[in-house]
Amino acid sequence: MKKTQFFGIWIYALLCLVLVLIYRFYTGMFEAKIMEYNLSLWYALAINLVLLVTSVISLKSSKLPAILGIIFSPLSTYLFFKSWTEMNYQYLAGFMVIPVILLLTTMVKRTSITSTQPIEKEKEITLK
Amino acid sequence: MENLLMRELIQHHKIVIYLVLIGICLVPTVYALGLSPLELNIQVEKGKETEVVQNIQVSNPSENPIHIVGSVSGSVAQFITLDPQEFDLPAGPGLKSPDPRPYQYVTVTFKIPREVPETKYTGEILFTQQPVAGGMIGTAAQLGVAVRLTIGTMAAAEFPVYVNAMLAILILSLIISIIFYKRGKE
Repeated sequence: MKKTQFFGIWIYALLCLVLVLIYRFYTGMFEAKIMEYNLSLWYALAINLVLLVTSVISLKSSKLPAILGIIFSPLSTYLFFKSWTEMNYQYLAGFMVIPVILLLTTMVKRTSITSTQPIEKEKEITLK
Repeated sequence: MENLLMRELIQHHKIVIYLVLIGICLVPTVYALGLSPLELNIQVEKGKETEVVQNIQVSNPSENPIHIVGSVSGSVAQFITLDPQEFDLPAGPGLKSPDPRPYQYVTVTFKIPREVPETKYTGEILFTQQPVAGGMIGTAAQLGVAVRLTIGTMAAAEFPVYVNAMLAILILSLIISIIFYKRGKE
């Protein structure tokens, strides 16, 4: 289950990156001028649906990233939608912060689990 | 001949009085309406959801209280909302009086979506003046504000540097997380 959660969030972050790159490609990579582009809200919705499903499935394994995922999923869609409709890149930055937070949370959770595991084993040995 | 005519008139004086009274009643009450401005020219950038708010002052100079109903006609109608759409104005000081006239501001909100097929939209914001209850004969006058909406060139957006920084952080965190995952497995 933890593996599913980690890879779910990782794939979500990767999809976010791809979406932002496509978005930037259509809007102009290094220009301040917005060009004609044809991105739809449905892309962002589909990506955030991946996050929502992953978070709901892995709710039992690790609660914090799962709850954060459930909360962030609609927020992320909203931020992308606002960035797209209002042509405001501040919203896009907000959209990119979410996968970073989720990745950091899973990393911290994972390191905390792996660091506590040997101590528990030692305790078991001393008890025996 | 003149005497004969006078006699006829005296004989039928009642009919003449009735005719005069009917004539007075049939003269419509003069209604007037003041609008400012009389023209709205809006220009927005293309590719950006835009909201523009304008105000129209509607005043009543006539000596009768009036009820006004606002409506929008033309291709621009799809983007416009009026607030309030219907309202009453009390009796004014009269058409020739310099005294201030009762007025009401109508907020005109233009909501233009990101993608619009045309570059020019025209129309008219119409204010129909309706007599309030109690008038003998109902007359409805209409006055309009011409509206011209122009969709201009493509909008330019601010491109903050931190967007690029966020992109780099996202790539880095993707790489670091997979390294962490592999180390944790080992």
